[in-house]
Amino acid sequence: MLEIKNLHVAVEGKEILSGINLTVNAGEVHAVMGPNGSGKSTLSHVLAGKEGYEVTKGSILFKEKSLLDLEPEERAGEGVFLAFQYPIEIAGVNNVYMLKAALNGIRAYRGEPELSSVQFLKMVKDKVKAVGLDEGLLNRQVNSGFSGGEKKKNEIFQLSVLEPTLAVLDETDSGLDIDALKAVADGVNKLRIATRAFIVVTHYQRLLDHIVPDFVHVLSKGKIVRTGDKELALTLEERGYDWLAEENLV
Amino acid sequence: MTDVLSELLPTCESRHSLSEPDWLHEKRQEAGQAVKELGFPNSGIETWKYTSLHRLKKVDFRPAEIADSTADTTVMPKLEIDNSKEKTVIFINGFFREDLGTYKNTVAGIKIEPLYNNSNMLEKNQEFISSYSNDAFAALNLAGFSDGISIEVDDNAIISETIRLVFIGEHRDPLLRNIKNIIQLGQNAQLRLIEEYRSGVSDFGLTNVSTNIVLQEGARLNHHRLQNEAISSSQIAKIVASVEANASYNSDSIVLGGQLTRLEIDVALTGELATCRLNGLFSGSGEQHIDHHTTVRHQVGDTHSEELYRGILDDKSRGVFNGKVIVEKDAQKITAKQASNNLLLSRTAEIDTKPELQIYADDVKCAHGATIGQLDSAALFYLRSRGISEQKARALLIFAFAEEIIKTIPVDNLRSNLERRFIGHNQMSELKSEAL
Repeated sequence: MLEIKNLHVAVEGKEILSGINLTVNAGEVHAVMGPNGSGKSTLSHVLAGKEGYEVTKGSILFKEKSLLDLEPEERAGEGVFLAFQYPIEIAGVNNVYMLKAALNGIRAYRGEPELSSVQFLKMVKDKVKAVGLDEGLLNRQVNSGFSGGEKKKNEIFQLSVLEPTLAVLDETDSGLDIDALKAVADGVNKLRIATRAFIVVTHYQRLLDHIVPDFVHVLSKGKIVRTGDKELALTLEERGYDWLAEENLV
Repeated sequence: MTDVLSELLPTCESRHSLSEPDWLHEKRQEAGQAVKELGFPNSGIETWKYTSLHRLKKVDFRPAEIADSTADTTVMPKLEIDNSKEKTVIFINGFFREDLGTYKNTVAGIKIEPLYNNSNMLEKNQEFISSYSNDAFAALNLAGFSDGISIEVDDNAIISETIRLVFIGEHRDPLLRNIKNIIQLGQNAQLRLIEEYRSGVSDFGLTNVSTNIVLQEGARLNHHRLQNEAISSSQIAKIVASVEANASYNSDSIVLGGQLTRLEIDVALTGELATCRLNGLFSGSGEQHIDHHTTVRHQVGDTHSEELYRGILDDKSRGVFNGKVIVEKDAQKITAKQASNNLLLSRTAEIDTKPELQIYADDVKCAHGATIGQLDSAALFYLRSRGISEQKARALLIFAFAEEIIKTIPVDNLRSNLERRFIGHNQMSELKSEAL
């Protein structure tokens, strides 16, 4: 589904990613771990198409299409979704309205007819319950005045409505207490299906207790320095990132 | 080329079949002289510093005549009128068209007539009608006004129907339309008024409006003013309002159309607990120029004002906001709030915004602030990453900015119109009205 080859990315002339190779297939959950500054968030942002990143080398193929040639909204249309580390507050834009515009934007991209308000609202009502988001937040302004946990749940709720084939979760665990973390992880686990892949970007292993990955990749200085299964995450938890960095130097 | 304002001067006698009072005829002559002496305001005058009238000088205007009021109605802008809630009064090229409006003088407590026919109202308001101080456009208005509206609401009358005044400009000649309006609410009277300016796409006219509003004790006027003329028309307007004790004046000024728009609002709070709320929303593109000058005069203590203006400027458009608050000597326990927020959508758009406080009392709470910004790129990316096109994401963010003003307008028709204007449809209100 996703094939990243020798990806080099620079920000303002400084190289952040230095040759990433990663293949993700449908149904798989890949964790990308790494210390601060290793390039985890850059990878998420480049996948979603955020401005300000210069791809100097390499390619990203998503369902045989070059993702790098697409605008952010076109990537969403192809089935890419990024759950933000810091979801943006947008004053004056209604949460449900934004989501309806998003879903209909994606449907239009795929040549599907728009959903009517009635169809849309019914669907939203069902899904909001499934992710455990307070219904009252639906009619509020996007993320405005939401708690940290509510913001992250709102991201997962959006994921459930937009039904991407590749979901990238960028440090979804950051700033969450254990209850909120569990609730968010539960929401994600319900959305794991055979046709959908996840890339879970995280600094800490604790999220992976709840969203159990098929693969764990360790990112350091812009490269994947180690790939393993969920046991690798536990080792990291025990020994820290320094151990790998040292080993890699040798 | 009209290099001097006096060339815009009409020969007032010829345009009316009705004869007018002698005093008015004399005042018109006087004002005509004043126009010649004053000339076009130039950038040397502080209040005209940021607004150039060079565009008007290039046009050979001629004063609208009564024959112009029968302009071809098939090329008129389409008016969406909610007949169940509104009564319309329609003027074409500055002349009353009784046949086109739905308002008939059958609503209890309110009398609406063309000003020119209302000799009683003219007499009663001699002082206002005759005054133009050093304002060239006010003098021009007096010298040449063709007509306008006269609205009187009786004491204690609460008018449940919204009155919608529509001033339409449409002619292949560039017309000068001088309009004078007088609105008076008796004690504890209440009225909601929409004052709308529209013009046909081929109109190049200049509308010069002068409006006088008097709110007696305890009266309340909700005044929604919409300048939605074609991009080729221009407008100079002045509103002078006097608000007595316990009365309140709530005004929205929405400017979407027009090549050059200059609107002055001057409100005097003359009695205790008089309040005013002035809101404004303007949106310019191309080379539109939109200028608001507001003045709030707190003449006595315990009077309160609030002001919020939001501007959205794209392309090479330019906006001007000057908000003056004057607190007279010994006018204590005043609150005055003022904010001017502006969104620039292009590098070549410009806003000149200036709050001006003149405070001669010590127990006052005045706050003011001005902001100028661009669309939030993080918010734009967030929306696009969800599948919303860049164009639509921008429209949504612009609408969100405008909505701060739009949501305060309790006229469904007007609000959904604005939603359509900004985001292309009115599903927003549709969706909001659905029970979740």
